[in-house]
Amino acid sequence: MRKLLVDWFEDRTGLNGRLRALRDEPLPAGPRWGYVCGSALLAILLIQAFTGLMMMTAYSASSSTAWGSVFYIEKQMWMGWFIRGLHHFGAQTVMVLLLVHLLQVLFTAAYRAPREVNWWLGLALMTLILAFSHTGYQLPWDQKGYWATKVVTNIMGGAPVLGPYVKTVVVGGSEYGNQTVTRFYGLHVGILPVLLAVCLGAHLALRYRHGLKAPANPTPPPEGAPSTYHPDQTFRNSLAVAAILGVMVGLVFWEGGAPLDAPADPSSSDYPARPEWFFRFLFQMLKLFPGRLEWVGSIAIPGALMTTLALLPLLDKVLPSKPLHFLVCSTVFALAGGAGYLTLESFREDMASTQFQEAREKADKSTERALFLASHPDFGVPPEGSSYLMRLDPLTRGAELLDKTCLGCHRLGGEGTGEQSAPDLKDFGSYAWIRGLLEKPDADAYFGKSPECDGMTEWKQNSKLDAKQLDQVAEFVASFASIPADQTVDEWLNTPGVVDHPGNELFQKDCGTCHLIDGYTEGGLRDAPDLFAWGSPRWMKRMIRKPGEAALYGYLEEKQRMPAAAPEDLNESDLSMIVRYIKGDYLKPEAPAAPRP
Amino acid sequence: MNRRDFHRLGTKALGALVKLTVALPAAAFLLNPLRKASPAGADAPVFEGLVPLSQLKVGVPQSFGVVRDQVDAWVKYPKEPAGSVWLVRQPDGAEPPVIAYSAECPHLGCAINLAGDAKSFICPCHTSAFALDGTPQNHVPPRPMDRLDVELSDDADPEVRVRFQRFRTLAEEKIPLA
Ligand code: FES
Repeated sequence: MRKLLVDWFEDRTGLNGRLRALRDEPLPAGPRWGYVCGSALLAILLIQAFTGLMMMTAYSASSSTAWGSVFYIEKQMWMGWFIRGLHHFGAQTVMVLLLVHLLQVLFTAAYRAPREVNWWLGLALMTLILAFSHTGYQLPWDQKGYWATKVVTNIMGGAPVLGPYVKTVVVGGSEYGNQTVTRFYGLHVGILPVLLAVCLGAHLALRYRHGLKAPANPTPPPEGAPSTYHPDQTFRNSLAVAAILGVMVGLVFWEGGAPLDAPADPSSSDYPARPEWFFRFLFQMLKLFPGRLEWVGSIAIPGALMTTLALLPLLDKVLPSKPLHFLVCSTVFALAGGAGYLTLESFREDMASTQFQEAREKADKSTERALFLASHPDFGVPPEGSSYLMRLDPLTRGAELLDKTCLGCHRLGGEGTGEQSAPDLKDFGSYAWIRGLLEKPDADAYFGKSPECDGMTEWKQNSKLDAKQLDQVAEFVASFASIPADQTVDEWLNTPGVVDHPGNELFQKDCGTCHLIDGYTEGGLRDAPDLFAWGSPRWMKRMIRKPGEAALYGYLEEKQRMPAAAPEDLNESDLSMIVRYIKGDYLKPEAPAAPRP
Repeated sequence: MNRRDFHRLGTKALGALVKLTVALPAAAFLLNPLRKASPAGADAPVFEGLVPLSQLKVGVPQSFGVVRDQVDAWVKYPKEPAGSVWLVRQPDGAEPPVIAYSAECPHLGCAINLAGDAKSFICPCHTSAFALDGTPQNHVPPRPMDRLDVELSDDADPEVRVRFQRFRTLAEEKIPLA
């Protein structure tokens, strides 16, 4: 019965016979390791296609979701790290095998007649695979992919005449965004695979038409039955593929998957963008060209090389073949040597540059933070998109804003960016801060460097409070920071523990004579800000928005006052990021998330 | 075993090894949705406050949307609509004071509506019909409407709080979905 079915199928399709013919291809000189490379390349490409298809079931192509979905694949899904890791290292393996395959064909002069067309197909395949690499690198929409894409597309844009148009079309506009992701995705999983399949099919068809190139000096064939492609060559192929896959799996385990940087942030100023290692030589070469002539290094030279390679089979006809082959081989050797040198040089330069190290360290930190936030049950990737992941994190965003807008005058733990003319904000609003102020108001960390702010210093000279009393006042004032946003002075005074606080009376007598709190202290002796809810988010926000309010520092001369931050310059979210950062109100890695109620 | 037999066997074994190395993790990857929701019941349903008891009329079903924090794969949505429920207040002194039904039809999951006369529930999809006490009125639904856990808060005008859950459709038992 089974035989009947098989015969019928064979009769109608002839498929088995054809496949058997391929399998039984005679190998008069026996199997060779030299024939392994093409097959291995094919196998790894199939693994790439397969793992790629797997990830397509989980990846989401848009600038707001790409990073989140890759994060989900890499960190949450079963075996996601393994699948993505295989794809990542598979891409690099393909590059290596491709190079070996190319050199092999070149050295054995297998580009000569009758295999010219297959040589060209090979070059086309190489170009396609480079395109795969570039388009895939960007899909996670992390810092690395974002900046690398920017560089590569700008290289395109630098080409004479058509460059800018090509770039705009590829990027999907002049800005990098949703269209960039969808276009690259479409190229990576649709257009390029189809082109690759067509070229690869033709490449294989021609390989069978011409057969494998017999070695120049064949070794005597092995004893016994004559060798055929299957199983003698396939055994070697399988061994090679298994070994290569073994290395890939090893790398995946070693790396724990594939790298994922923090989400793309177009506003970051110091991301040290570097291409994958196999493009390092190009990257390094670009430094040798003046910007105006950049296209010579990035387009003209590689283009000339590709053209020479493509013309090789034709040159072979008109020039003496042996010297030509020698010339080309030595040129390629020289170029490979040069590329190797440039690659090493590039890594060496980075190793020696403290600036690079610092930038890399900072990037690694934000990567770590991003992964921490995204996987935290109380945070997660916000619905607005992964670029908001960091923008809603006080530790990242608050620190960045504080650095940019506040530390020109203020200090944070002694660090600042300009000449100090305002207090240190480290632990502002805490017991430690206020106790320190009461001890030495004219210290640099307090009002020592703030012009016209000598009220506290004057108080200190006349104050008779002893250390214990100062502790009590500081404790009392520090408690202001926890006054809720909607509480009035009356409500606050009626809260248990306020009026009977040991610091209350001291505060009224010693501080209340200058600091007016409507409905509580009189003030009037000297100008001083309202301290109600001092150090709380509501007080700090008010202070940042309107430091010139009469109840705050309105009494200072305009030029001595802290500049107000209008909502146009600092939106509500950013304002609260600054305040929460100063107050230390953000997720910290040490403290595990409290279980939900 | 001769050389060629060895090669044949080796090719098979190595080929299988390579394929399994890729296929097994891929199978796990595709089966990821079967993974239990995060451990320690981070997503276990909790009671959601819907409406003060005083606003419900005895015996008149009213529908309410359930809005809660949700995790959709990698995105965390604060306060997203999750589903809707029917609340039917019982006469004073009855226990429980309010009955809550999931509006999800036990047949195939459409949203159950109130019939025109407000005396029964009807599903617009395949005409499952239910009495106000949730019992099926025809043979389409596999089981009565799904009752949800209800509790009242301690306020003077207590708030009706419901624990929203989904159940497997078409089953005759009420089987909660993880
Ligand atoms: S889903 Fe309600 S009747 Fe079918």
